[in-house]
Amino acid sequence: MIDRIRRVFGPIWPDFNPQDNKHLDPYLTFTDYRTIWVVGISVLVATALMPLLVVTIIHYQLLQKSVDSELILRAERLASNARRAATFFLEERLGALRFTVSEIAYDQLTDPDHLAEILRNLKLGFGGLTDLSVIAHTGTQAAYAGPFNLEGRDYSNQSWFIECQKHYFYVSEIFRGYRDVPHIIIAVKSLRPDGSFFILRATLDTDRLIQTLSSYETGAHAELFLINRSGIVQTPSRHHGEIFEKMSLSVPVYSRRTQVAMAEDEQKQPIIAGYAYISTQIADTPFILMLIKHKAGMMQTWQQLRSNINWFVGFAILIILVVVTLTCSYMVNMLYRADKSKAETMALMEQSNQLATIGQLAAGVAHEINNPLALINETAGYVKDLFVLKEKFHQDDELIGYIDDILDAVERCGTITRQLLGFARKFEVKIQKVNLKDIISDVLVFHNKEAAYRNIQVHVDVPEDMPPVESDRGKLQQILVNLVNNAFQALDNGCILDIKASPAGADKVRICISDNGCGMPEDNLPKIFEPFFTTKEGNKGTGLGLAITYGLVKKLHGDITVISKVDEGTTFTITLPTRVIKEISENEGSTG
Amino acid sequence: MKVLLVDDERKFATMLAKRLLLRGIDIDYVYTGAEAIIKAETQRYDVAILDVKMPGIGGIELERKLKELDPCLKTIFLTGHGSKTDFEAGSAEAACYLAKPIQIDELLTILREVAG
Repeated sequence: MIDRIRRVFGPIWPDFNPQDNKHLDPYLTFTDYRTIWVVGISVLVATALMPLLVVTIIHYQLLQKSVDSELILRAERLASNARRAATFFLEERLGALRFTVSEIAYDQLTDPDHLAEILRNLKLGFGGLTDLSVIAHTGTQAAYAGPFNLEGRDYSNQSWFIECQKHYFYVSEIFRGYRDVPHIIIAVKSLRPDGSFFILRATLDTDRLIQTLSSYETGAHAELFLINRSGIVQTPSRHHGEIFEKMSLSVPVYSRRTQVAMAEDEQKQPIIAGYAYISTQIADTPFILMLIKHKAGMMQTWQQLRSNINWFVGFAILIILVVVTLTCSYMVNMLYRADKSKAETMALMEQSNQLATIGQLAAGVAHEINNPLALINETAGYVKDLFVLKEKFHQDDELIGYIDDILDAVERCGTITRQLLGFARKFEVKIQKVNLKDIISDVLVFHNKEAAYRNIQVHVDVPEDMPPVESDRGKLQQILVNLVNNAFQALDNGCILDIKASPAGADKVRICISDNGCGMPEDNLPKIFEPFFTTKEGNKGTGLGLAITYGLVKKLHGDITVISKVDEGTTFTITLPTRVIKEISENEGSTG
Repeated sequence: MKVLLVDDERKFATMLAKRLLLRGIDIDYVYTGAEAIIKAETQRYDVAILDVKMPGIGGIELERKLKELDPCLKTIFLTGHGSKTDFEAGSAEAACYLAKPIQIDELLTILREVAG
């Protein structure tokens, strides 16, 4: 089941660290492939998505501005047209009354039949008039034409009468009045030849005005209505208050021109609010035309377009994510496989080096053993000769001495054999306390003869109080063998090899292996730990020794540096922790 | 037949010399190349038995120096290496070689063959 899940998600969630490859970790160039994978995907996704998102956002902003601008322009045009219509409605009827009082004498106007005739003509010519009345300067109604019997009523204390006296013209708010029917009063004052005055008053039907305004309403999301200057709703509004009630929005400030702006209603919904103060050329009016458009409703088409774009962008992002993840996974996986392949080669090379070291040691040991064996052989042979050729040595001290020599030689063989076995134990990977002085001595025992033959002086300086190191004895021994071999190959006869060990801080030790041999050019130093790099002529070097040594030092969580000068010598410095905390897996040790 | 044995393994040299003496071979033995040269300067030898690896003057170099003193000197090399390869690479002109540990009868046979 787990394997099936891994197979399915493998291409997008590759396993860079399988348990069976743990032994290769020290040889991998990059250790954290998961981080490389995550960083790679993040960078690629950011690079791919940034332009898409930026362009989308800019597009949205431009589109929003463009749409807002278009909505405001349309609202402005609509409000202006409606304002003109409402102004014309009132101005036309005021003009008709003014014409009437100018052309027809007071006496004729007070004739009820004549007044009724005038009302009929006005209704035919303009419409929207309910009644017509003539009010004498005393405030008493002098004549009335219309459906209601209001003759003789006294208006002297009414505000419209007083206002009309002052300003000659009057346009009332919409009010219910005596008849409890919404209507508007318009009145015109006229002077008589005797110096007195009279007022011609008409009652306007508001339905006509409401119809006029309704004809300008476009769509379900826009509404046009009138308020007075106190904010009382004058004509029906669907969303902003009942007629004769306070409007839910605040009263806009006075402006001679039509104004439109973005705003919010009482529910904090975005609206386009337009208004215009209505003023005729004859008289000012108490009306403010309000245009309210609900933006959400107006923007439905655009919202649909934006929703479609969002779906497209979301789909594009999904495609980019999948493609980037698959590509990055594939590339990082290829890199990991290449690195793993290199690591496997390095592990094999280390194994080969170990086998080569064993072979080298075996040859050295054979030589070392052969000498004492030769002595055993000769001494035993001589004893035999004595017994065979002479019969006088039954109680001879010399004979006993020779037998002791045989035993000594056997002991030497035993010592060498034990050392060989001790060296072979390096392949059993385990962390143990290692005495640096002992391990250096063990390594040098195989070089003593060569040092003597070639007159190479080997100085070992390890302080007596040097603390033991908890490390892998075998690997540490192999590191030292490789470096000492390297030094012996670089040294001419009669040169010096120095091996020094010292504490380096509280939890580290430093081992310096210095020779005064031929040294190396500075240009070569950065490359000497690379596999297959060698400066040795012909087929003397494989170029693997130092690369493997480097890998072993890293495996022991240590560090290795080199300083070298041509014709002056080379110093390798190894710094190792006194305690290897991380347990080295058993797999690493199975290479021997 | 006068034989010079040179080997830095002192007890081995002593034992081998004693065994050859018991078998009637007139033999001198020394432990270093330098001592061998001094001996050869004062004494003529028919055959020199030389260890290949010795501190100071090694067997190969010693053979060359001894032959400078006496071109007629025959040499037998002893080597601690079990393989013939190293030895052959060292001196193609060697009369013979023997790997340690040696068989005394084999050495005697070779001595007689070399000395003619």
